[in-house]
Amino acid sequence: MSNDRKMQQASWARPLGALAVTALFFLPLYLVLANVFKPGKDITDHPAAFPWPPTLDNLRAALGRPDRLFWNGLINSVTITFLSIVILTVVSAMLGHYLCRTRSRLGRIAMLVLLAGLMIPPQVILVPVTDVLRLTGLMTTIQGIVAFNVGYYVPFGVFVFSGFIRSIPMELEESAQMDGAGRWRTFWQVVFPLLRPATASVLIFLGVWIWNDFLNPLIILGPAGGTTVTVGVYRAIGEHQQDYGQVFGLMFLAALPVLIFYLALQKHFVKGLTGGAVKG
Amino acid sequence: MAIAEKGAAVCRAAPVIPAPRRRSPWPALRHFVGFGLPGLLVYACFVLAPILLSVGYSFTNADQFKPHTRFIGFDNYVNLLTDDAFLTALKVTTILTLIVVIVPNVLGLAVALLLDRRGWLYNALRGVFFVPVVLSSVVVSVIWQAMLTDDGLINTTLRSLGVAHPPGWLSDPQLALYSIGFIISWQMLGFCAVVYLAGLQGVPQELHEAASIDGAGALLRFRKVTWPMLAPALTINTVMLLITGFKTYDHIQVLTNGGPGTGTTATLAFSVAQTGFTANRTGEASAMALIMLVIVAIVSTVALRFLQRREVHL
Repeated sequence: MSNDRKMQQASWARPLGALAVTALFFLPLYLVLANVFKPGKDITDHPAAFPWPPTLDNLRAALGRPDRLFWNGLINSVTITFLSIVILTVVSAMLGHYLCRTRSRLGRIAMLVLLAGLMIPPQVILVPVTDVLRLTGLMTTIQGIVAFNVGYYVPFGVFVFSGFIRSIPMELEESAQMDGAGRWRTFWQVVFPLLRPATASVLIFLGVWIWNDFLNPLIILGPAGGTTVTVGVYRAIGEHQQDYGQVFGLMFLAALPVLIFYLALQKHFVKGLTGGAVKG
Repeated sequence: MAIAEKGAAVCRAAPVIPAPRRRSPWPALRHFVGFGLPGLLVYACFVLAPILLSVGYSFTNADQFKPHTRFIGFDNYVNLLTDDAFLTALKVTTILTLIVVIVPNVLGLAVALLLDRRGWLYNALRGVFFVPVVLSSVVVSVIWQAMLTDDGLINTTLRSLGVAHPPGWLSDPQLALYSIGFIISWQMLGFCAVVYLAGLQGVPQELHEAASIDGAGALLRFRKVTWPMLAPALTINTVMLLITGFKTYDHIQVLTNGGPGTGTTATLAFSVAQTGFTANRTGEASAMALIMLVIVAIVSTVALRFLQRREVHL
C-alpha cells in the first residue's frame, strides 16, 4: 500500500522535475527567441514578456541592412562550410584507408603525427598560417580558409574514418580486386558505402564546427575578404551595443541553419558522438 | 614473412583464391600518392609547417613594427616565464579550465540521471539540452551578454526584488572570470549529459535488480553499480572539457576583451591571439603558443592515462 503510493508520487515527480530543470536551462534561449519578435523598445522595457503581437521588424532590419552583412555572410558561410566538409570527407576517408592498409613504418609514423594534431589549438598555428597563406596568395580568400580548414580538421576525419575502416574485413577488398576492380573503384564502390555512419559524423561535426568558427575566418578572411555569419554577429554587436533588436535578429538568422541541420540529423548526431566511444 | 603467412592462411580458408602475386613496389607507391598524399600534403602545409615556423619565430624578436628580426635564443621564453601578464594568463586559464571541467561534468551527470527514462517527453527534453552545444560560442556569448550586463535581465530582476546594488557579472574584475566559466558550462552541459545518457543505457538492468534484492539503496546502487559503469563517459567528457577550457577564446573576445581591468579574463589562447595579431609581436606570440601547446599536450595526456587506467581497473 505505502509502496504503491510511493510509486504514484514518483510517476509525476520525475517528469515535472525534468520539465522544471529544462525550463530553467532554456530560459536564456527563450529570451532571445521572444525578443527577436519584439519591437526594440519592448526589449529594454519588458525583456521577459511574451512577444504579442509578434513583429518581424528585427528580422527585416537584419535582412535589409544596406551593407548586406547577413546575405554576404550567408553566401560565404555556406560556400566555406560546404566546400570544406566535402573535401574533408574525400581526403580524410582516403587518407584513413591508406594509413589502415599500408604496412610501411612511414604510415605508422604518419598516423601518430596526425593524431597529435587533434590536440593543437588553432591559436598556436594561426600566426604562421597567415604567412603560408600570404606566400601562396590565398590570404583573405575563400580558398585560403577552405585549405586551412582541410589541413586543420583532417586529423579528426582520419580519426573517425580509420576506426571504421579497421572493422571492414580485408578479404572484401581483396575479392573486389580479384574481380578486376582497381584500388580506386574498390574504395569508392565497396568500402566507402560501408563507411556511411562515419561519413555522417564527419559531415555533421565538421559542418557545425566550421559553420560556428569565429577566430579563423576573422583572421584569415580579414575585413577585406568579407565575413561569415558568425563573424557578422560579432561585427554587429560592435555597432549596435544598445540596439539588441537587430543583433538578436541577426543572431537568430545565423543560428537557424545550424539548428535546422541539427534537428534534421539529431539521431545521427548522438550516434556519431557516442558511437564506438561509449560502449558502457 | 608475415605477408606470406597471411597469404597461406587465406589459401587454406578459401582454396579457390589463387596465391597473391609477388608485390612490386609500384602499387604501394601509387596507393600512397593517390590515397595518402593529398591529405598529408595539406596537413603538412597548414599544421606541420606552421608549427615548425612557430618554433623558428619563437627564437627571434620578430615584430611587425620593428624591421630588424634577429635570433635571440631563449630570451622570449625566459621573458615570458618571468612576465606577470603571462603568469596571470596561466592562472586565469587554470581557474577557467577547472570550472569548465567540474561544473558541466557534475550537472551533466545530474541531468542525465534525471532524463534517463524512455518516452517522447524525455527525448524532447534531451534535445533541448543539446541546443547550446551546436550554437556558435559567439552566439552563446551574445545571449548571455544580454542577460548579464549591468542593466541586463538578471540585474533588472534583482533590482525589482529590492537588491539595491546587484553584482556586475561581467564588469566586476572579481566576478567576470566566474561568469564566463558559468556561460561555457551552460553551453557544454548538454554535451556531457548526452555522453552520460549513452553510458547509462549501457548499464545492465539486472545488475540494478540484483543489487536491489541484496538490499542496496538508491545511493549505494549509484556508487557501486552505475558510477563505475560510467567510467568511459567520464573519460570522454573530462578530456573534451579540458581542451574546451584551455582553448577558450571566443567568449573572452566577445564578452570582456580580457578585462575588466587588466588581464582578469585574458586566457592563454586569448593572449596568444592578442600578442600575435593585435600587437603583432610574432616572436613572443610564438613562444607563448608553444608553451601553451606543451601544457595542453602534457595535461591531456596525463588526464587520459589516468582516466583510462580507472576504466581498466573495473
